[in-house]
Amino acid sequence: MHEFPVLPLGPLNIELSTLIAITVSVIVTFLIAKLAVRNLSVENPSKMQNFLEWVVDFVHGLISSAMPLNRVKPFLSLGMTLIMFIFISNLLGLPFGIVTETHHAYESIGITEEMLEEKGGHLEIAWWKSPTADISVTAGLALIVFVIVHFLGLKQNTKHYLKHYFQPYPVFLPINLIETISKPVTLALRLFANIYAGEVLIATILMLGWIGTPFLIAWQGFSIFVGAIQAFLFTMLTMVYISQAAVHDEDHH
Amino acid sequence: MSWHWESTVIAMVAFGVLYWLLSKYAFGPLFDVMEKRRQLVLEQMNTAESSRKAAEQQMEDQKAALQQARKEAYEIIEQARTTSSKQADDIVQTAKTEASRLKDDALKDIESEKNKAIAALRSEVGGISVKIASKIIEKQVDEKSQEQLVDQYLKEVGSK
Repeated sequence: MHEFPVLPLGPLNIELSTLIAITVSVIVTFLIAKLAVRNLSVENPSKMQNFLEWVVDFVHGLISSAMPLNRVKPFLSLGMTLIMFIFISNLLGLPFGIVTETHHAYESIGITEEMLEEKGGHLEIAWWKSPTADISVTAGLALIVFVIVHFLGLKQNTKHYLKHYFQPYPVFLPINLIETISKPVTLALRLFANIYAGEVLIATILMLGWIGTPFLIAWQGFSIFVGAIQAFLFTMLTMVYISQAAVHDEDHH
Repeated sequence: MSWHWESTVIAMVAFGVLYWLLSKYAFGPLFDVMEKRRQLVLEQMNTAESSRKAAEQQMEDQKAALQQARKEAYEIIEQARTTSSKQADDIVQTAKTEASRLKDDALKDIESEKNKAIAALRSEVGGISVKIASKIIEKQVDEKSQEQLVDQYLKEVGSK
């Protein structure tokens, strides 16, 4: 497998490929959204505006399937950002990769003599990948969701939010805590594992050489589908968690 | 694949920035426009509803007006019919009176003409008779018997 360049910056170790990927992903997401709203029109929307409005409607439907309709609005922006950012991130690693070969050690990007010797003096450095194929990034996203969910739960639904840890009996507190922890963990791992597995398989198929081309095309097509599904799932689950913690259904209990 | 907490922080910051940027520059205006369109559609639907009601109202009015006009036309025709029949009766009546008057006049005229003719004839016949008689009895009759003869003759003519 490839090595990823790591830039030591004082006490920090910044992984360059992830930094590049996140930056590109943010820029692409923002550019697409900005292009879509370039000539906003009430009566005669452009094709891009129509597309983005379709996404808004889609996300709106998705959120409203998780919580009452009148609570949807504040989360629409969050859902839109999540689904667009994750989908674009998932696709980012699919079309190509940037790999450089080196026979020398570059201490400044974390390529040491030992690593070089380990691989027999020949090392491939990957500069390009999906940001979501990195567990650290998906963990970051899951952490944001975790913070939002529990902040909103504490703020908007304090009594029921605190009470739910002791439901149905106080003995269940450890189980409820495990559930609380497992939610963001599964959120992060599911996204990471799906996208990472996709990229690993692409790398594996590439080793086949020319024979692998049809497989590569098929798998890349499938990866687009997986990327869409995972973006949808992440957003959907986020909204479900928010709904569980923050929205108290009056006639539910 | 190794864990880098720096990547986590970068991802969180990047997501936060992206969320802020998108909300401010993309989704905010987009949601505004969508809301505006919703209002526009609502407004247009209301307008359509009210104009439909107005059209219905107008239709009703026109129907009523048509009904009224029809009724009036019927009345006018009825009136014309009664007037005309009355007029015809009048005309016939007048004609009848006129005709009878003319007939009476004619009868009177005939009567008076007849009387005149009789009078004229009587005097004519008287004269002629006198002449004839005087010619016949010029020499044989004296004054007295002549007068007697004339009177007798006149009596005969008058009784005819």
